[in-house]
Amino acid sequence: MKQFRILKTLIVAFAAFLCFAPYAWGFCGFYVAKADTKLYNQASQVIIARDGSRTILTMANDYQGDVKDFALVVPVPVVLKQEQVRVGDPKIIERLDAFSAPRLVEYFDENPCDVARNYGPLFESAEAPAAGASRASRDDRSLGVTVEARFTVGEYDIVILSAKESDGLETWLQRNGYRIPQGASQLLRPYIRQNMKFFVAKVNLAEFEKAGYQFLRPLQMAYESPKFMLPIRLGMINATAAQDLIVYILSPKGQAEIANYRTVNVPSDAEIPLFVKNEFGNFYKAMFQNSYVREGQKVAFLEYAWDMASCDPCSADPLSPEELRKAGVFWLTPSSPSSVFITRLHVRYTRDKFPEDLMFQETSNQQFFQGRYVLRHPFTGNMQCEAGRQYKKALPQRFEEEAQTLAKLTGWKIQDIRKKMNVAQNEPAPFWRNIWP
Amino acid sequence: MLLQDARDFQILFLSLFLILGIGTRDWTLRPDLMLVVMATCLGTQWLAAYLSPILTQKLQNMLANQDAKQDNCQHETELAKSWAWHSLKSAGITALGLCLLLRCEHYTTMAIAGSLAILSKFVFKTGSKHFFNPANFGIIAALTLTPDAWVSPGQWGDDWWYALLFAGTGGTILKRVGRWDTTAAFLGSYAILEAIRNFWLGWTWDVFAHRLMSGSLLLFALFMLTDPRSIPNARTSRLIWAGCVAVLTFILRNQFFVPTALFWALFALSPLTVLLDFIWSSPRFSWSAADISAHPLTFPRSQPGSWESRPGGSASFRQTGRLKA
Repeated sequence: MKQFRILKTLIVAFAAFLCFAPYAWGFCGFYVAKADTKLYNQASQVIIARDGSRTILTMANDYQGDVKDFALVVPVPVVLKQEQVRVGDPKIIERLDAFSAPRLVEYFDENPCDVARNYGPLFESAEAPAAGASRASRDDRSLGVTVEARFTVGEYDIVILSAKESDGLETWLQRNGYRIPQGASQLLRPYIRQNMKFFVAKVNLAEFEKAGYQFLRPLQMAYESPKFMLPIRLGMINATAAQDLIVYILSPKGQAEIANYRTVNVPSDAEIPLFVKNEFGNFYKAMFQNSYVREGQKVAFLEYAWDMASCDPCSADPLSPEELRKAGVFWLTPSSPSSVFITRLHVRYTRDKFPEDLMFQETSNQQFFQGRYVLRHPFTGNMQCEAGRQYKKALPQRFEEEAQTLAKLTGWKIQDIRKKMNVAQNEPAPFWRNIWP
Repeated sequence: MLLQDARDFQILFLSLFLILGIGTRDWTLRPDLMLVVMATCLGTQWLAAYLSPILTQKLQNMLANQDAKQDNCQHETELAKSWAWHSLKSAGITALGLCLLLRCEHYTTMAIAGSLAILSKFVFKTGSKHFFNPANFGIIAALTLTPDAWVSPGQWGDDWWYALLFAGTGGTILKRVGRWDTTAAFLGSYAILEAIRNFWLGWTWDVFAHRLMSGSLLLFALFMLTDPRSIPNARTSRLIWAGCVAVLTFILRNQFFVPTALFWALFALSPLTVLLDFIWSSPRFSWSAADISAHPLTFPRSQPGSWESRPGGSASFRQTGRLKA
């Protein structure tokens, strides 16, 4: 016997969620502008497909400045050869995002007078966009900087550098026309001393125009290294506010978590008022910000953890094997279809609360988790029975609870919520209903 | 007597952490798994303590009882009655430690961790002293033998009030068992190594602070590393040993990028206790002598200030001034 039945589900555009702030792009490295264009990093998406120490990293971005001004420097653990770097399909990040985004579920109450009841969601969804790219530099001089590799992949010119001293690297980048953010040299040093290499990319304008792309596509790199980390420190150089990073970790084993910061589940499974349907993006933004502040601004949030073969409820179809391959999943073979477990982590970081780069670890935790928010439509038809009267009597309290929940989650004023709810759902029944149903 | 024994405090504090962890940190803890590990630890302890003397140490056990009678006739009966209770307390501590640290999917994994943790006390020992920390042994056993176990080093975060809580409660226990030197040596050497690395790499010092404020590191240093029952007896050897654990942790973490470096380092260096006890053995004996004369409650062979009871027989000991020797 189920209590509700879903008549329908929602598709809630979740774009707002990724539009937290003035858009621009940054991720584990920093952008270096060749002109005076001011660049700020705000949000980024990274896919890490990892099995053991083998990794395929996909960096997407929403760089919105002029393509010719765009360049990117990312520390990488090993020297990458041409065949280890690819340009990815921007669609795949959208697909992963849609599949794993926090979701709004809508239920419609059954007539309480009906004996048999059903329960269940139809479908719902959420989505978010992404686009990608990056870009680079050239040249070699004797500044203790070695050009380990230089190649063109798609619309990108890529140089892999190793350096002995951060000053030398800074000078090299400057001489080659890159505007290095103030204080970069000091931050480059720890990576040089850890023997990391530098992946420097810029857009090859001829290729870019020839291909006729509208935006920069994601860069993918494959490497083998025990270092399971993302260097966020560099990306904070030219950031003025908190930055959002969404990491999709794909693993054959189970959930991934952050080893040097707490990983916290985002609030989930809350019943909230119906009007949120029209402002789910705002709701999620407010709720995330509220949780972020409550946790002291220094934790990573788990937004989704699921086996990629299924979903319940699905916000988008599971990815096909072909799509998974595009996302960097390299361990699937037709003969042995092993599992792919996705972990979606959302980190909002600032310089003072996240001093250290993110270190990850994979675990065999197979527990599923999703950010899921529930709308329950009350039954509005005829109810000619005792159960119906009870049901009606209980409704105001239920609405109040939903309002309280929403206020608690988002920090919105309870009065405002109540006001909005009245408009949305509390039309008083006309007096004649009492005798003329 | 409640709260007379350092182990009572240990149980109290670990339970407190568990409640705090469940209440304030959203861990993937499952009550059923906690029950399983508790039951396996207590069950194994009871069984092994019961069988072990019969099967392997009948003679030794009898001798021990005779010694006890001679030295301790007044309290012997009382203690003999309570041995089971005391040894179960130790098993309870091991179980709580596993609940706090080990995560897994299946009952069998928890059962393996719990039973091997306790059995390690009976199998890996020299004389009456085991040299693996049981909870640590259980964790490593689960990590290596099962596919579904993991440890979450980031589970406590780096909040300063947790650091204070761990330091305060840990200090209370360490004062009773007199093993603060081990914690100090470990944290001191580890901090120095991290500081050197931080300086060499050129990170700002908040990176260093963040690494050291990790709740898991402090909990490990204060509660797991200092089990007086399994670590070296002499202070010199404890200092050397704790320093070695710190160095190995540092290498595993920074060179091999093992997030659970602490547990592997402790596991790998636990057997060193045997060697260190062998080298610095005479101080140990003289301390025991001092203890016995000053505190007839202490069994002649019991280790001073231990919260893991002797596997094969009775053990009850109060913390005494053993460090004075």
